[in-house]
Parts: sequence; C-alpha cells; structure tokens
Amino acid sequence: MRAREEGKGMTIDNAPVTGDASTRRLGRIGDLFVRWSFLVPSIVLLVALLAYPIFYTIDISFSHFDIASFGADEWVGFENYREVMGDYRFWDSLKVTLIYLVVALPLQVVLGFGIAFLINAEWRGRGMIRALFIIPMVVAPVVAGGMWRMILDPLWGVMNYWLGFLGIGPLDWFGDPNLAMAAVIIIDTWRWTPFIVLIATAALLALPKDVFEAARIDGANWWSTLWSVAIPLLMPVIAATFVIRWLGAVKMFDIVLAATYGGPGKATNVVNLFIYEEAFRSLRFAESAAMAVIVLILTMVLTGLFLRGSRKLEDMF
Amino acid sequence: MGTVQIRDVHKSYGPVEVLHGVSINIEDGEFVALVGPSGCGKSTLLRMIAGLEDISGGDIRIGDRVVNNIAPKDRDIAMVFQNYALYPHKNVRENMGFALRQRRVPRAEIDERVNDAARILGLEHLLERKPRALSGGQRQRVAMGRAIVRNPTVFLFDEPLSNLDAKLRVQMRSEIKELHQRLKTTTVYVTHDQIEAMTLADRVVVMNSGVIEQEGPPLELYDKPASLFVAAFIGSPPMNFLEGNLQNGTVLHLDDGTRLNLPVGDRKQRSRVTIGIRPEHFTVAPSGWPATVSVVEPTGSETQITARFAGHVVRVLSRGRTSVRPSDTIHLAFDQGHLHFFDPAPVPEVAKMEDVA
Repeated sequence: MRAREEGKGMTIDNAPVTGDASTRRLGRIGDLFVRWSFLVPSIVLLVALLAYPIFYTIDISFSHFDIASFGADEWVGFENYREVMGDYRFWDSLKVTLIYLVVALPLQVVLGFGIAFLINAEWRGRGMIRALFIIPMVVAPVVAGGMWRMILDPLWGVMNYWLGFLGIGPLDWFGDPNLAMAAVIIIDTWRWTPFIVLIATAALLALPKDVFEAARIDGANWWSTLWSVAIPLLMPVIAATFVIRWLGAVKMFDIVLAATYGGPGKATNVVNLFIYEEAFRSLRFAESAAMAVIVLILTMVLTGLFLRGSRKLEDMF
Repeated sequence: MGTVQIRDVHKSYGPVEVLHGVSINIEDGEFVALVGPSGCGKSTLLRMIAGLEDISGGDIRIGDRVVNNIAPKDRDIAMVFQNYALYPHKNVRENMGFALRQRRVPRAEIDERVNDAARILGLEHLLERKPRALSGGQRQRVAMGRAIVRNPTVFLFDEPLSNLDAKLRVQMRSEIKELHQRLKTTTVYVTHDQIEAMTLADRVVVMNSGVIEQEGPPLELYDKPASLFVAAFIGSPPMNFLEGNLQNGTVLHLDDGTRLNLPVGDRKQRSRVTIGIRPEHFTVAPSGWPATVSVVEPTGSETQITARFAGHVVRVLSRGRTSVRPSDTIHLAFDQGHLHFFDPAPVPEVAKMEDVA
C-alpha cells in the first residue's frame, strides 16, 4: 500500500509538466504500465494461494463432493452446515480449541512480554540470550512435537525425571486428559513465546526513553513504572500480538498431530485436527469444508470484536 | 535552600570523557542557562543534576546535600523534557498529579495543587484532555505544570522550547520568565539557542567541548567575551572577525594588504591578532574603509547589510532604513570603544550556524 503510494508520487513528480498532448498520453500509459507491473506479481500470487483455495472451500461446503472429479458436484445449500452443526464431535473439538486458547494465549503473552522486559535490561551476554530465544521458532512443529513427546514420556522422559527431584510425579503426560492438554500448551508455549519476546523486545526498544525518565524523577517505583507507564504504552503492541497469536493458535494443529494426535480419547482434539481427520481420513470433504468456513467466520467475528475491545482498552488507559 | 553546587564534575562514557571538570555555583532562586553547541555536554550536565546520569568524578550538591548517590526522585528536583515526556495515556490532571500520587499525598491536596498549577499556566479547561489532544504549546505548559505541582527546590529544563515554532517559542520564553519571577525557584535551563539563554537567564554559562568557556550575566558575556568562541557564539547576527598582524599595537595589517588604524590598542602585546567587531558597531560613514555590498536584508526596524571588506565577509547592522543596494560601495567605520582582541583561531562553526537559525 505504502509502496504503491510512493510509486504514484514518484511518477507524478517525474511526469513532464509541459509538452504536447500525445507525449502526455504516452507518459500516462507508461505510468499505468509501471504501476501495474509492480502490482501484478503479488495479485497473481494472492489469487493463486489465498483467494482460490478459500473460494474453492466455500464452493464445496455448499455442494455434494464428487471424489472422482475432486470438485463440487451438486448444490445442496446448507445441508453440509446442518449436518456438522448437529455433530457433537465438532462442538467438542471447538471446546478443546477454546480451552487451549484461553490458557495458552495469556500465558504466552505474559511470559513473552515479561521475558522481554527482563532481557531488555542492560547486561552482558544478552545478545547471546536473545539469539538463543529464536531456536524454538526455527524448529519444525512436527519435530518439536516429537521432541517434547520424548521429554514428556512417562517412563523415560526427562521431565518426569526432573519432577521426581521435586517429589512430583511420575506424571502420565499423555494418558491423563488434563495433563495431555497441559503438555500441548507447554509445547505450544515453548514454541511461540520467543516470537512474542522478539516483538516485545522491539516494542520496548522503541518506547520513548524520556517518559521513563520522567517517571523516575516523579518517583515511580518498579511496579508503578510497569503498570502506569510501560504497559499502557505497550498496549497497542500487546493487542496486535494477541491477534497474531490468536490467529495462529486457532489454526494450530501440527503440534497436536505430532505430540498427542488428539488423545487421550478426544482430550486434545482441536478443531483443526478434527477437520483434517474428517477430510483426509473419512474423506468427508464437503462437511470439512463447511466446518472450516464456520471456523473462519467465527475467527473473523471474534477478531473484529477483540480489535474493537482493545481499542476501547487503549482509550481507557 | 535551592542552591546547586557543581564541583569539578567529570563524566566519561567508557574511555571517552565528555565533561572535563565543570564547576558552577548556583544561588538560591537564580536562573542559570547552560548554553553551547550540540555535544558540548550541557544536557549531560543537566541530566547529572537530575540523577539520570551517573557522576564519574566530582560532586553535585543540592541544598546542603551531596546528591551523587541519591535517586532522582529524592533530589527534590523537577525536570521539563525537550519532547515533553508526558504520559500519553493519562489526562492532563493525572499527568500533573502523578508525582504526588507516587508520594501518597492525599487526594484532596493533589487536586488543590494541580488546580493551582493549572490556574497559573492557564490549563484549567484542558485538565481532562489527553496529551495527544493538545497543541505543542499546551503540552509544553502541561510539562511545566507537572514540574510546578511538585514545588521542587530546583527546576531543570532540557531544551524545552526547541520543538515549538518560532512564534510560540518567543511566547513561551516570556511565560517561563514570568513563571520564574513569580515562583523564584532555582532554575537550570539548557539550550543551544543563545537568544533564549540571554533573554531568560540571570547568568549564562557557555560550554564548549565539555568545559566552561565563560560564565556571567548575559550582557557581560555580550560585551566582554573572554574567548573567540564566546564572542562568536553569543550574539545574532554574530560578531565579525578580522585577522591580521598588529604593528605598534594600533595598526592592523590584514592579509590582503589593507591597513587599518585602530583607535584603541591591544592590551596584550601580540603580533598576530584577531579583532572582533559586532555588526551594530560598524557605522556607514564617508570616512571609513570601502566595502562592497552583497546582500541587503531589511527587517523594518533595522537593516542587515552583508558586505565584502578586505577579503572578509562582514555583517553590518544599521538602525533604520537605507537606500544601499547590492554591489554598491559603502564606507565602514567602527565604533571606538567596542573592539575585541583575541588570539587568532579559526572562527567556530557555531557562529556561522547561528546566523542561519
């Protein structure tokens, strides 16, 4: 958007002010050509990778799915929607996702900003620590899931070994429904907190120094500096981080796939895993598409509500 | 007692020393301006008084306490920052009352003091607004209000007017002066603008490269600059400098061969000398030396003429109006009693820069 505006501004500046009509026209066409040649690649990419799949999904969610042609067969209206809305397993999986969201998101945001606040202080070796924090992000989710599966293994996992020293356990991480959810949240938090730390570190560095100095002179202690100065100033970034992580978390499925596969029972069967299963194991593509569309709409509505709410929150502070 | 005593203060960042032993005694109720070009250490010194920077050597006393190791909040100072540093999410009332709330002052008293300060600064109708809904001048006033509310022994100002436009700057300048006359609180005011320093302060401290060049009442600095730097820095348009060889103490041979008979001699016996003449101490008179006019800038009450004279560019300020035009030849004489003699040195860049500003 910005690039486009700048591009526009530039061409206007360069356009010849004088000259006869034909050269001006030629200049205009050349101008349009340049403008669109910058836009077309990204439009093509967006259409191919985003718009087409979305409309394909919406299309088949209203149709009978023909497995032979792998496309929409016959328009059935809301029949697929009626069916999945009546499916308790869908609601159960939504509930699982909700539990995961409600616990994991605040945990990650608080941890992320907290750690950033700590490593933002001047001390030797903090560059090193910052670099180390990126590692979880570059580990493939499936590898992370597998790795944590080993760490949390009830019999020979290192987690239970350590907890043993504290007199806790042994815990059956993947056998107990609550612990399995905890395990998924731990893995997800391990993976995503560093990302928030990065954003938060950048945000903290960008904060105006003099406001904090004014707070020092005004006699604000650590707590009121954090609560009355830092957090309000960071509010927009916190809200944005929340939305980014919220969108990421709604579609989370890789970690569950690798670590628990939705188990035990259906305790960690998040909605995306459920949709995936329905589509690629049970081959109920039309119903899965309908569920995906429902999740999409839910996400959009909730995101909108959240953004509105966070703007209110910013005003409040 | 609002005295500030700065004794042989040094400041180093790692191996780099930026303040090389600065001493200033500030009396109770005095308004002192620290002025100098960017990087001269004036802001660093102010921040050391505030406690925002460590003191590498020497000591600073506020009242009768050495404050080197006292936290900023306990130094009984208030600071106004260049970018105002208001809390953006708090309204004006909360901004001004924040320090008192941190001190657990009773709410009724906070309200009273905030209202008093708001009345002094004309902010009463803005108390419920957030900083982003205020203009630059209003924000500046809130920042001052935040300082006043605390009733500190010392006010510290860090280039408070440099973000305002020219007109507002002049207006706020007189408001600050009026405020000081009213409250009589000891004030240390940092600025790079010599006019601000001259007009506001009881005493001006000119700093350059981490040392004090000269300190004194504004007009004393103007009339008796101790160094070429101060001569060049104070005054706008800046002083003119002519360098040459001095013969018998009264005849100046400029490098292009021009000979000037000086009405007064140099007290030090120098052979090579730079003389300084303020623009208003030139007079256009038929008996003077010839100069070629290059620019004429009338401002109404006075006219600034830039002319070429003996290989130098000189600025002449004459009261009233003139019919002189570019490329005319005029004759310049200088005022008898207002010649300044300096050891020859390159004229500091600041003098040239100030001219632009």
